Formats: sequence, structure tokens, C-alpha cells
Amino acid sequence: MIVGGQSLVTSPPVFSHDGKKLLVCTGCTVSVFSTTTGMLITELEGHTERVTSIVVVPVVGKVGTKFSYYCWTASLDGMIFYWDFSTPDLFKKVNVHLPVHSMVIPNILSASLGSTNKASQNLYAFLSVEDANRKVENVKHLCGLIQIYDLTNSTNVGSVLAETHKPETLAVSKSGEFVGIKKNKQLNIWRVPNKNLKSVNMKKLKLHHTRTLSCLAFHPTKRIVAAGDVSGRILIWKGFGKTRYSQDGGGKMKIDRGDMPGVIDRDDADSCSTWHWHSSEIKFLMFSSDESYLFSGAKEGVIVVWQLDTGNKNYKPNMGSPLMYFTDSPDPSLSCISCEDNEIHVLRMPSMDIIKSISGIKPPLVLPELQGDQSCVTIGCDRSNGFVALPTKDYRVQFFSLLDGTDISHLQVIERNYDPVEETTVYVSLVEVSDDGSMMCTVEEKLPEMGIGGLISLKFWARGSHTGQYTLSTVIYEPHNNAGVSDVAFCPGRSMAVSTSYCGNFKVWVNNFSSIHSGDEIPEKGGWRCQSVSSYKGIPMTAAAFSGDGSVLAVAAQTVITLWDPLNNVLVAAIGDSLGPIRQLSFVGSSEYIVSFSAGTKADLVVWNISNLCMHWSYKLLVEDICCTRSGTRFAVLALLSPLDKSISTGKDGIVLVFDVENPIPVSSWFVKKAKGGRLNFINNKLGEATDGKLLLAYINGEHEYILFDPSDVKEGEDYIPRAARRPQSHAHDENVSHGYASIYGELPSFDLTKARSSDNIPFVPSERPWETIFSGSSHALPPLSKLCSPFLESLLEKAEKQTVLSQ
Amino acid sequence: MMADEASTRLFPTEPASHLRPRSRSVKSLVSTPESSFWRTFCSSSFQPSSLHLPITSLSFSPDSSLLASASSTSVRLFSSLSLSNPDPYPYPYPDSEPTPFATLPLPDLAYSPSFRCDGALIAAGCENGSVRVFDFPKNNKSPKTLRRLKAHSCASRVVSFPLLDHKLCLFSAGDDALFVQWDLPTETPLFTVPGAHRDYIRAGAPSPVSPDVFATGSYDHTVKIWDARVDSGASASSVLSINHGHPVESVLFLPSGGLLATAGGNTVKLWDVIAGGKPVYSVETHNKTVTALTLAKVRDDTRLLSVSIDGYLKSFDFSRFKVTHSMRYPAPLLSVAFSPTGTIRVVGTNNGLIYMGIKKKKDEFEGQVRSNDFAWSVPLPEKPTTRKNIRYFKRGQSEKPSEGDFVIKKPEKVKLKEHDRLLRKFLHKDALVSVLKTKQTTSIMAVLEELVARRKLIKCISNLDNDELGLLLSFISKKATVPWCARFLMDLAKWVLEIRAEDIRSGGTEMSVHVRTLRAMVAHEIQGYVILGSGATVRTFTLERRAPY
Repeated sequence: MIVGGQSLVTSPPVFSHDGKKLLVCTGCTVSVFSTTTGMLITELEGHTERVTSIVVVPVVGKVGTKFSYYCWTASLDGMIFYWDFSTPDLFKKVNVHLPVHSMVIPNILSASLGSTNKASQNLYAFLSVEDANRKVENVKHLCGLIQIYDLTNSTNVGSVLAETHKPETLAVSKSGEFVGIKKNKQLNIWRVPNKNLKSVNMKKLKLHHTRTLSCLAFHPTKRIVAAGDVSGRILIWKGFGKTRYSQDGGGKMKIDRGDMPGVIDRDDADSCSTWHWHSSEIKFLMFSSDESYLFSGAKEGVIVVWQLDTGNKNYKPNMGSPLMYFTDSPDPSLSCISCEDNEIHVLRMPSMDIIKSISGIKPPLVLPELQGDQSCVTIGCDRSNGFVALPTKDYRVQFFSLLDGTDISHLQVIERNYDPVEETTVYVSLVEVSDDGSMMCTVEEKLPEMGIGGLISLKFWARGSHTGQYTLSTVIYEPHNNAGVSDVAFCPGRSMAVSTSYCGNFKVWVNNFSSIHSGDEIPEKGGWRCQSVSSYKGIPMTAAAFSGDGSVLAVAAQTVITLWDPLNNVLVAAIGDSLGPIRQLSFVGSSEYIVSFSAGTKADLVVWNISNLCMHWSYKLLVEDICCTRSGTRFAVLALLSPLDKSISTGKDGIVLVFDVENPIPVSSWFVKKAKGGRLNFINNKLGEATDGKLLLAYINGEHEYILFDPSDVKEGEDYIPRAARRPQSHAHDENVSHGYASIYGELPSFDLTKARSSDNIPFVPSERPWETIFSGSSHALPPLSKLCSPFLESLLEKAEKQTVLSQ
Repeated sequence: MMADEASTRLFPTEPASHLRPRSRSVKSLVSTPESSFWRTFCSSSFQPSSLHLPITSLSFSPDSSLLASASSTSVRLFSSLSLSNPDPYPYPYPDSEPTPFATLPLPDLAYSPSFRCDGALIAAGCENGSVRVFDFPKNNKSPKTLRRLKAHSCASRVVSFPLLDHKLCLFSAGDDALFVQWDLPTETPLFTVPGAHRDYIRAGAPSPVSPDVFATGSYDHTVKIWDARVDSGASASSVLSINHGHPVESVLFLPSGGLLATAGGNTVKLWDVIAGGKPVYSVETHNKTVTALTLAKVRDDTRLLSVSIDGYLKSFDFSRFKVTHSMRYPAPLLSVAFSPTGTIRVVGTNNGLIYMGIKKKKDEFEGQVRSNDFAWSVPLPEKPTTRKNIRYFKRGQSEKPSEGDFVIKKPEKVKLKEHDRLLRKFLHKDALVSVLKTKQTTSIMAVLEELVARRKLIKCISNLDNDELGLLLSFISKKATVPWCARFLMDLAKWVLEIRAEDIRSGGTEMSVHVRTLRAMVAHEIQGYVILGSGATVRTFTLERRAPY
């Protein structure tokens, strides 16, 4: 079983101390990527729920101490783990018992410093946890708690610092002096005392604003805090907490309204200025490491660089997607930005050029409105190569390899500039890849505005020299006049395709290679043209499928399945009624059966027999997707469970069933999560040595996470293959890339301590009065300085003593 | 305020291509520089003898002044001057035909005339196996037979002087599979290979780089390269043997001497001789047997010309491996020659006709013989650029790149049209107005569609002031019934009239003129539908109700 497709952008990623590795929360695991290659190095596996925050232990002083690759991770399963992520090894488990939504360790710098001298102070973590029990009891639903936790002794420290409606994200200043959260329209800031940390002597400071705040950031050194609100404004409080934190008792503040411009509600700050450029909620704020700039980002996909002193702004590249987090690294020339489309870009800093992109599977396309029974966007699948083609928001198709879990390529389908702020009016609604992956068909829809100017077009693509590279072959505008395309199917083994439409006809398209094929540089002329148009009683056509040998074309006309000879365009037969309009149909391998399902109130799954043109067996199931093997008699069904079912409580709302056509009893079944909008596909197993042509069943859930499993294997989740083990360790060599001093001057000759100690072999007789002998002998055979020094100093003392004795 | 230049590709709003009917105009013949070169030749044809006997071989003298053609029992010599200055009366007037300047007497069927490198001697083969060498007396006397070389027992089909300045030597080969290098003064063979091939030798070519190297092609499908210096007695073996795969009809060294072109069957193949006979390329464009090959000078390039039984002459660019031109003749072609001056092209057919083309226009270069053997000259190595010149170091920013320099171009600045620029700034109404002012229907439609995609069209329409509304209305009223934008514009017209009814009513005469034209056009269109009998499909149009003029 292979699991993959987790979102890379659920939580902010963290750089390792040298900026060479990037730790990314991917579901229950933490993936460690190399920033130079963008490849996965290793995964930290241990948490059972989503990992929410990572804190890398900073390295102070000499590089290469044993603490160089240590980190703390917190997860929703209520555990905090301590890892060495270079090996990776799990060292310590701390159970908090409550789901941790955010964790910061303000004194990690001093604590790790102190770790060298043993009498160190304890490591305290500030946790933002969710207490589900409070939700039930309390009327105000203050279920988010801010707590302090002693990681060294695994105990809670004191009481709750703050209560919030929902768990908030904690922010910490670089020095570890301040910890803050946003709480509706105010900021809560605590100053962390250097020693004797107790929740009693934590002083809370509140800063108020008139709008709901969305994020905050502390200045690395000065007492400046920046906060963004939902309307896109950025507020900068300078010199906060001067009175509050200066006086010991926290007495009444002396306020002079005159010299506190912009500060409201008697807040404890020198000044508050507001900057406004973004039009929507600020997603992140980050002060630059040289303390003179502030970065902000929002939905527009543009990083705005504000000069702190003047408020002048500069704009950095359009990332083409709403931004999520901005993380800087200890290496000042590196930082990374997380985008909403599941992509992390590593940026070279002053210029903000993208060096590398770590790209995950694209999130599902959210369409503005679903018209009638038009279901959500379909996913194409190249069975032979094991990749899926997913339409993305920025008018492209992403090719994603399920077996490797890597992004292969992107293809611009609609030639339009993508603007993340705009609502979706143009989108790729259908992607279909032929079985061998040599042809692809996309359908794009342009929604009309108040009935003006909608457009549907069909595009055929031909594969280029390698997988995932396609070139446009033919564009067909308005293939079915004004009506939408419901389904497209390719004929196996022939360059023929069929498109069905809601206006009641279907068209068979053929590709005519008319020109002479000579040389690579001459593009093939000819293209796809309509061979025939047919309709069945004017009923809207909803689905189409070719039989395995391509000789029979089955088209669903609402509840009836019509069988056609695709070459001669002759209706062969029509098979009876299903309960509802058929959503999808498929030939079961090489057998004489067709399986179809319909959705809606009369949802059912039906297996039809072509030889006697009747229903074979059927189920009353709310089916989401079906898929059949090309040979054999098995097919897989993804069904949604009704909400009344028991297993819903575990979060598993769907079931994958594998059937044999002859038998209505399923061969095997799995419960799966997030089945709404999920997809099933059979792909060829090309993994490692197991190239026995075995098929894997790929289940892609509604959030585009996927699981690959062996359909013949009944056990669930037994032989989990870690992702890192599945691919060659291609990053290995670039770990040795020298940097800093070594990159300029080369490696220093290794300093061999044993060589220095070789002088131990020299006969050396300790005596009561060593200073008499230590300097005797040849100079090259003198003992080391460490040995010489203390006796010599002692000798000086001795003489002084003698002198004192003499003087007495 | 707009963000920085996006790093990704920028798509301008494209003209609405999808709605326009594609133009059906047939493209005229593709004109390439090569085809325009060949078009400067003035074609004509003539028949050297009254008999319809095949022209087996054609050859130009090195200074291009003479053309030798072999057909039946004679080798006829034409003065190229008489060819290039034809009489004002073209063929078929018999007087105007180029008449042979001399005829070489041969006892039997004549084959393969070959000029010596200085043009002073001509040699020809004969069906009975003898090879004869003639000279040209200048004052119009008939040519004299200087030498008779007798070694072949069958027809000596291949006779050739070496290409380099080696005047006392001659190669010959024949149907008896014998290959001989002759010493002319003494009439004795220097180098003899009996049984050089296992079948008739029908093709041969001297090397352009060595006077001792000769290639022969035979009907036993092989091409062999002989070097007279490697004489190992009676059992002389070839330096190189190449299997062409078909009976070889013609062999030709390309100017560098490193490549060899062979013709046989329907294919012309190129071989790398230096690499030991490695196949380089195969030209398979002829439909019947390729009979002859020659080199031609096209402007500054050299082309390989091949003629075939299928009547085509093809020009092949062997530097790009591409057939660049082809010409069709009404008869099977057997021989081809191209004058070293690059001005005359002659093609011999199997029915006794010679087709020739004479270049009419002369460039400043052409018309003069550049070197004695133009095609065979090995290009001089280019002078390496010297960096000693002080000007090289003083060259500034304005320095123009010289021919051999690799130019790194600046990334081209994206040129955006006015409406694209405004659309990028989200100034939707301004973009619409600016594109309406251009009066380009395709651009206007593209911007309108883009506005629809951005959900801003209705807002734009309601924000237009009266003058701008007039612009929009005039556009709609002009184009509303153009088929490819009618659907869009009709819907748009409905909305415009609905939203801006008040402004139109109070807008004055100009506005009402537009609306009236629109109404008239729609009425006309509806009438058209009714006349065509498809009244049922008429779009319901609410113009009458909303605009009572």
C-alpha cells in the first residue's frame, strides 16, 4: 500500500539550521526535502494525526555538533516528538493529551545553549491546544487554549494563559522574548521571562484594532509587532509594552494621547501605523533578517516588500496562486513561500527568484456553481505509466505520477492569464487520457455572464517525446453547438474518440494522419475531425465507453444504454432502463458485461449483460466512481456510505468494493476517508522489482490524497511502503556540496588530534617537582603545552612560597 | 497599482479566432529562394539528331564553353555560346536549333565523353571496348583521334579523366568488369584490375582530392574505391567496398572528397568514405531508377542534382539533407549536366531530346568561371580572427557583430496593445473604450469575451458615458448580424438596451440613429429567415418593445 498526495501547505515549513533541508508537514509525517534539488530526502513517521508544527533546534557555535539535525514536532494526536531528522530517529515522546494546533519554544535558543552546561533550564513550549470537552460544556465555546508545557519534565506549567474560540497560531519573536497570538480584534502578547518561567508571572499585553486580525509577526530585535487584518491592512505597533513591561507591578499606565499616533484604546505602544495595499485577508507577515523590510502576502499571489522606515513598497514575482506562508531560513540568501496550490517555492532572497519548486498534487478545482447533474471535474489517468492528469485552477493540467508521488509536468490548456483573485469563470472541465497515454482530450468551459458569450471547446493533444509532454493537435470550438460535453472516451488501439453531450447527440472523432511523416521538425498535419454524429431519440447523452477491442461503443442516453458500431455509425442495440440517469459506464474487461451507475435520489449500480441485453445484477448504492480492468472480469466501485452508518464516526465515509461480474458479492472491500469527489483507477505496477504486470488500484480522495493498493490483497494497510524507500536517493551527492568558508577556500586539512597526542609516548616521569625536568631535553620532544603549563605555573607558586619562607 | 512583470508567460487577449470561419483561399505555390533561383532559368529543348536515340551521357568542358552529348554512335559537341544565345525563333523551327559544333567519330555506340581538366582533350568509350582520345583543333576542323586504348573486351561504359591537374592519365571501366588506369602518351595500362566487380561496371567517378583514387559502381550492387598507389599485382583489391543495395547507376564524389553519392534503384545514398563507408543519408524521393547525378552551383551553395526514369530532376542540399527543389520533365531522364559557370543546365532523355535551361539574369558573380573546376575546389581554411588588432580591444557598445559571431539577443520586450495594457491594470472600461476606438472587429470581440470571463462586462456597460455608449452602439449596430459574432452581439444588444434605456432615450439623434439601424438590420435578418422558410428558428428579439422609435 502506498499513501501519498498529502498537502504540503497545511502548516508552515521549517528550514534546517544550515538551510539545506526543508521540513514540511505532510499529513501524519514530516517530509524532509533538499532545498538544492527539491527532492525528498527522508520522512519522519510516527504521528498518527496531522502534524501541525515543527521546531528545529538551532545550532549555536560550532557546526557539526550532535544537535545539528534535531527537531520537535507537534501533532493533532496530542503528542510531541523529538527527532534527529538526519537519520531519522525518534528520541523522545511527550504526551500532551490534547490536539496541538501550534507550538513554539521561545527559549529553545538559550536552552540549547545551556545544554552544554548540565545545569540547564527546562525547555518550555507554548502550545495552542484544542479542548473538545470544553466545547460541550461551555456555552461560549472557548475551546482553544494557550498553555505552557515543560518539555524537559513532561509536565504542564501553571494554568491556561488564554482562551480563544478556536485554536490560534502562535507567533514568537526571534529572540524568544515575546510570544503572541491574535484573538479576534486584538493581539495578546506575553513576554517570556528569562528564568523562573511560570504562568503567574507572565504579563499579558493587549493591542486592539477595529477589524478581525489574521496574522502577526514580531520584529527580530526591536519592540515592533506587525499584524494583518481580514481587510488587507497591515498595522505596525512600535515600542509596545514599554510601560507594561518596565514596571514590576504592572501598575496603571500613564498615557499621553498626544505622542502616540494611531494607538487606540489606551494600548501600550508608542505608535501604530497602518499600511494598506492588499485587497483581501493578509495571509502572512514576516520581517526580513536584516530588520529593514517587512514581507506580506495575500490572495493576489504577490509578495509585497515594505520598507519599514518609509513604508515604500516593492512587488515581487507573481506566484500565480494565493500565498499561504513565508518562511525564512538561517541562511539569509534562502527563503521559501508556500502557495495554496500545494507548491512550495524556494526563493533566492534579495532577488526572490525561484530556485526550486517542491510541488505536490494539485488541490481539487472548486467550481463556482454546478449546473444540474454536471458532476465535478474529471481526472484523466494514464494507466500504463501510472500518472494522473488533473486540471488545475490556473488553466493548466498537471501530470502527477502516483507511483513516485512526484509532479511530472504542467500543460497550459487555456491560454489565459490566471489571476487568483478572480472567481473561476473559465475552467478545464474534463480531461481524458487514452489508455496508452498517446492521446489526450480536454474540454474547457467558459461560463457566460448574464447569458452573454459562453463557450465550450474541445482540444485534442498528442503526446510528445516523453511522458507528460503533450502538444496541441486540434481545437474544436463548440463541439455540440452550445451544449455541454458530458463525457469523452478514447477507442483503444485506434485514434478515435467519442464525445457525448447534453443536447442529445454524440460525435465520433477520428484523427487522420494525411501528411507524409518525414523528419521530426515537420509537424504532422491533419488532425481530428468529426466522422459521424448520432443521437438516440433526442435524449441527452450522459456517458460513453468503448469495449476493450474498440468494436462496440456504448453510449448512455439518460437511463438507456445504446450500443453502436463506431465505424459505421449504426445502432446495434439498446438495453433497458436503469433507475436514474446513468452517470458513467464501463465495459468490464474483455467480458460481455457493462457496469454503470447513476447518482441522485435513485442511485444504483447495475451490471448489464450485452449478450442477452438485460440486467445482470444491481445494487442500490450511492456510487461515486467505477473503474474496470482492461482484462479479466473484475471492477472496483467507490461508494459513499450513508450518514447513518456507524463507521462515519471514524471519519471513513466511503467504501471501495472490488467485484467480480459473475458474483454480486464483493471480492474485497476497504473503508476510506473523504470519499466525496473521490476517484478510482487501475494503474500498472511498475515499482521496483515487482514488474509482474500486476495492477494497482489507485484511490484518489476528494482532497486529492491517494492510496495505491493491491486489489487482490484483502488485508488493509499492512505492507506500507514508505515514500522515501520507493525512489532512488538522488540527493545523496549534493549533501557534500561545500558552502561558506569551504566553498571559497576549499576544505581545511583535517585536524588530527591523535597526532598531537603521539607525544604521549615520550617517556615522561612524573615527579614531585616536575618543573625541574620539564624543560630539559631536546626541544622537539617537549611535552605538549597543556602538560607544561600547569606545572610551570605551579613552579612559580613554589618559588613564591620559598621566597615567603625565606622572608619569614 | 500593478505588480511586477510576471515571471510566467503572458497571454494577450487573442482575436476571437474560434468564431471566425476559416478562409478557404488556397495558398499559392510555396516560393523558396531555391525555387526562385531555378525559375531564373529559361527552358528550351532541342534534338541533336533526327533519330530518337537515348542521350546516355552529357558533359561540360571545364571552362563551360563546350557541351558533349553521347547518343547512338556519336559524341556531339556543342558550343555553349550557341546554346546560350538561341535565335529569336524558338523551337520547333529547325533553323533555330543549336547545331553540333563537331561530331566525334566512333565505330560503335558511344559512351561517357570526358573532358580533360584543361579542356584540351576529350575521351569517350565505345561499345566495342576501345577508348578513344581526341583533341580540338581550334579552326573548326573535325577532331582528330589522338590515341586508341584497347584493353576492354566489352563496352567501355566508364571513361574519365582525373579531376586534378594530372594530364597524362585516364580511367576506364566497362562491361567486362575490368578497371584500368591508362598512361596516355604510351597507350599502356598503369594499373589494371581484371574482375573488379562481379557484374557490369556502369558508373565511375574520380576523386576530387587525389588523382589516383577512383570509385566504380557496378550492377552487382557494390561501389568500390580504387587507389592506383595500392597496386598489389594481379590480385589488386579495392580500398573500400560499399554495398548500395541496388544496381549502381551513378557514382559521384562530393566536393570535399570525403562523401560519396551513389545512385541505384530509387535511392540516392550518401556515404562517408573517410569513416570507412559509413552510410550517412539515403534520399528516397524518386519513384523510379535514378540514372545520373551531378553537382550544381546554386548561388553560393552546392547541390546534388539527380535525374530519374520517372522524369524528375531533384535538387538535394547535402548540407541540410533536404530535397530543396524538384522539376518534372515529360520523358524518362538518363543524363544530366550543369555547367561549371552555373548558368546552363542540360538534361538528356531517352527519346533523343535534350532539355536545357539557361540562366537569364546574371548576378555580379555568376557568368564567370571562378576556378578551373568549381565544385572540386577544397575550401580554404578560414583565416583565424586575430586579436592583435588594436581595434578589437577598442570596440565599444555600438560594435556590430561580424558574420561569425554568436549574438546573444536581449530578451524581447513583450509588446502589449493598449487594451491589453489596460486590462492588465484592471481598467476594464478604459480597455473596452480603447479597443472600440480601434474599430477592429476581432480585437473588440476578444476584449468583450475577456470581459465576460472576468465578469465585468455588465458593469462596464453601465459605467459607459454617453459618448462611449454611442461607440458601443455603433459597433453593435454595424456588426450585429455578422454571422460569427451575431450570437454574442445579439445578447449584448439586449442587455445594453435594457440597462441603458434611459440614456439612449435622452441621448439625442446619434443614439437613435444607431438603434434604428440596429432595428432595421434585425428586421431584415428576420425577413431573411422567413423567406428561407426557417421562421421557427428566429431568435426572439425584444428590440421593438424596449426602444419605441
